[in-house]
Amino acid sequence: MTDGMPSGTTEPADGASTEAPSAGRSERRGSSGFGRYLLKHVGGAAVSLLLVLFSSFFIFRLIAGDPIDQLTKERPVTPEQREAMRAELGLDKPLWAQFVDYITGTLSGDLGSSFQFRRPIFDLIVERLPATLLLSGTGMVLAVLLGFWIGTRSGWRQGSRFDKGHVATGLLLYSAPTFWLGMIVILVFARYLGLFPVNGMRSPDTPPEFWPQAVDIGYHLVLPVLTYTAVVYAGYLMIMRSSLLDEIGSDYLTTARAKGLRDDEVRTKHAVPNALLPTVTLVFLALGGVVNGSIVTETVFSWPGLGSLFVQSIFYPDRPVLQALFVLFSSSTILAVLGAEILYWFIDPRIRRSG
Amino acid sequence: MNPHALIRRCLSGAAALALSAGALAVAAPGAAAQEDETDSLLIATSQEVDTFNPFKSRYTLTYNTNMMSYDTLVRAGADDYQPVPGLATDWTESADGLEWTFTIRDDATWSDGEPLTAQDVAYTYNLLIENPAIHDWNIDFSANLVSAEAPDDTTFVLTLLAPAPAEVLNRAVFVVPEHIWSAYPDPSADDANQLPLVGSGPFQVTEYKPDELIRLDANEDYWAGAPGFDEVVFDYYAETDAAVAALEAGEVDIVNGLNPAQMDALKGQDGITVNNAQGRRYVSLTINHGTVTQDGTEFGDGHPALKDPVVRTAMHTAIDKQALVDTVLDGNGTPATSLIPAIFEQWHWDGGDDLVEFDLDEANRLLDEAGYARGEDGVRTMPGGGDRLSFRFYYHADETNYATIVDFVTEWWTQIGLEIKPEPIEQGTLNDLAYLGEFDIAFSGWGVGPNPTEQLGMHTCAVLPTLTDGTERASENSYCNPEFDALHEQQKLESDPDARAEIVKEQQRMLYTDAPVIWLYYQNVMEAYRSDHVTGMLTQPAENGMITGQEGFTWSYWSAQPAGASEDGGTPAWVWITVAAAVVLVAAAGVFFVLRRRKTADERE
Repeated sequence: MTDGMPSGTTEPADGASTEAPSAGRSERRGSSGFGRYLLKHVGGAAVSLLLVLFSSFFIFRLIAGDPIDQLTKERPVTPEQREAMRAELGLDKPLWAQFVDYITGTLSGDLGSSFQFRRPIFDLIVERLPATLLLSGTGMVLAVLLGFWIGTRSGWRQGSRFDKGHVATGLLLYSAPTFWLGMIVILVFARYLGLFPVNGMRSPDTPPEFWPQAVDIGYHLVLPVLTYTAVVYAGYLMIMRSSLLDEIGSDYLTTARAKGLRDDEVRTKHAVPNALLPTVTLVFLALGGVVNGSIVTETVFSWPGLGSLFVQSIFYPDRPVLQALFVLFSSSTILAVLGAEILYWFIDPRIRRSG
Repeated sequence: MNPHALIRRCLSGAAALALSAGALAVAAPGAAAQEDETDSLLIATSQEVDTFNPFKSRYTLTYNTNMMSYDTLVRAGADDYQPVPGLATDWTESADGLEWTFTIRDDATWSDGEPLTAQDVAYTYNLLIENPAIHDWNIDFSANLVSAEAPDDTTFVLTLLAPAPAEVLNRAVFVVPEHIWSAYPDPSADDANQLPLVGSGPFQVTEYKPDELIRLDANEDYWAGAPGFDEVVFDYYAETDAAVAALEAGEVDIVNGLNPAQMDALKGQDGITVNNAQGRRYVSLTINHGTVTQDGTEFGDGHPALKDPVVRTAMHTAIDKQALVDTVLDGNGTPATSLIPAIFEQWHWDGGDDLVEFDLDEANRLLDEAGYARGEDGVRTMPGGGDRLSFRFYYHADETNYATIVDFVTEWWTQIGLEIKPEPIEQGTLNDLAYLGEFDIAFSGWGVGPNPTEQLGMHTCAVLPTLTDGTERASENSYCNPEFDALHEQQKLESDPDARAEIVKEQQRMLYTDAPVIWLYYQNVMEAYRSDHVTGMLTQPAENGMITGQEGFTWSYWSAQPAGASEDGGTPAWVWITVAAAVVLVAAAGVFFVLRRRKTADERE
């Protein structure tokens, strides 16, 4: 085709000259559009993060209670001892000084020390993060896969026995209290069938080498992941299902069928890709939720992760830990949403057009 | 190729692989287990570690690990909490009570093999005197210390500012090794003593995984005899229900903090023994009889009627403590008199002639006589017709037992013409209100130690707050009675245990009849253990005593002996087989799909 071009008149050159600037213009508009879009959302996220940072200091001061009460609840102490403890925990400083310490500390990466563990909070988080990522990460991937897999099939065959059965089961589990479900799972699989350990992440007597540890952790992971997945997968199932229902009457599917494609192919090659779009946000929210998504499951199974830490800290109240975790949990969600918004720019042309 | 034949071939190959892999997997951990046949004593716990630094830790759990890792000069005996020799074989008090001379045993060694001498003891006590942070943290004891010296390797001399025999013999000062500690940059730091700990006790902490476990290895050279178990592991169970399930499944050996229902469920199960022991804990009702500071400034908003001892006594008379024990605790406790539980036989006061018996008529008579006439609605008013006797009754929202108690007590108190307004409150808020004096009646409770001074000290004038902001929380109930204080100082100085007991009992009688606090019951300790795995544990006290929650020394864990075949803990073989099989299946499936893809590709062409 291009071979024939030079043989023409000056028109192609004109065409090129008129087109080139327009292409450049549209590209420039595109980049500045993306810049503005990015700036708007990054700015929004930054404002949210700052609000979280400030509010977390005050929110956890609403939990009444003097940490010294916890420290001294086993044995009575004299007023002088209480003073020494207050001074060491920094509680003798005025509120504004504690606030300044907190803000400057957090911004410079120093999260302070826990009251109950009396260790740097950063260390506490680093120790527990892998356990949480393992549990809710595994659970989340399973839940998303399971939810999407069942959801597409349910939506495709709306009203079928498969659809009704799965929606009912999913919603039943979704509405079950995690705490209760976890105890039932423990009683059935650990206590009565004796198939799995009651709780914890590994047995005390597992050899320290890699493989025995890995297998033991995997073994301990089964019941908490089962519980976690069972409770959350219905959310993905329902979204995927309704998203597919939105597409199901579309003309392009009729076209695809008219081409003689098999039903399976119409579903997997045409309907599902379009139905996936609305679920992107959900997946990103899920990613953000991996950090804080399994608080109850961790507590029921004594899983040594951030969720357990958060619950222990509420009862104390270990305010520095609560503040740090609140900031961490919130910012992971905020950043995940930001990620979803940025991704939308690339996968959803409508956003680019609306600028 | 016929796809069915291919599948069959793949599956049979996978099965063969799985079998061989499974066999390998079974062999591997089996061989490993043979090598290190350690007898582990597994104890369920839910408490955090504050610090392993024995000068600063305050939790029950770390108190336990301290008692196991280190030794004290004198310890509370297993039989009856009486002081018995620890690192010191004997001790003498000078005539003026200011100088104590201890003979240090010469057969004690540190877990790293170094000998323990009186120099280590002197170093330890000098930390309390000289290290500012350690001094402050233990000010109630350290303020009274003048010097600590070791004239030779087996003699330790402690000099005091004022006589304090009970403190010297009961205070848990854990002796630390000078050769290790003198190298620490800051012995007062929470992380001063790094793991593995070096101590002279029967077990030393060697490993700590937060929220997972604390491991202590046995000290085979322990001077009092090597422990029966090779290691003790505190295993984390956030929920008691889960710990109970683990006990039933044989995953843990000792569980405590049980409720009556859990005890009943465990009772009579094969291989499990329940221990329903007398406890060190009391539950009490604090009455706001007027909250004051040291200089007499009143604050808070307690009902004026509660300042009258007659009203408090009437309320006391209108509580059937035995009924509370029977219904709330299902019989697992004892009605309380005063603040030292019956488990400390020596110090406990049984009420004698002053014992208040449940009698609603008597309570009504007391109030009638004192002029608290009933109004039209049946509720009494202040003498001369003032405020109605309407009291706020605060209890901990997370304590189901307290809610039941409130139901009963409210019923009784209503019958004597009081209006009671129960309100469940979250514990932090409840503490805040209590120390601000903004309550009428509130729940409280303490675990009591072998030295009565601690508990009695909370009722002295010296610990009243100086400010009215509720931040100074050393006084249990703003109680201030110079007579009581005089006795308190006297009992602290008394070296003769019998004479001291008389004073301590008199103090309890005063508190009981003044009734700033009404003690309801002493709660039993409910615990259970795998008797098919553990045996021979000493209880404290000897009679109807407890296994967990011991004081002064870890008698139970030290004396525990393995029984029967050790459990084959760890990952069961079937898990390894499953993992191996899964790996093989995944590999086989991979091969299968590659082949199939190639085949369909062939078809397409």
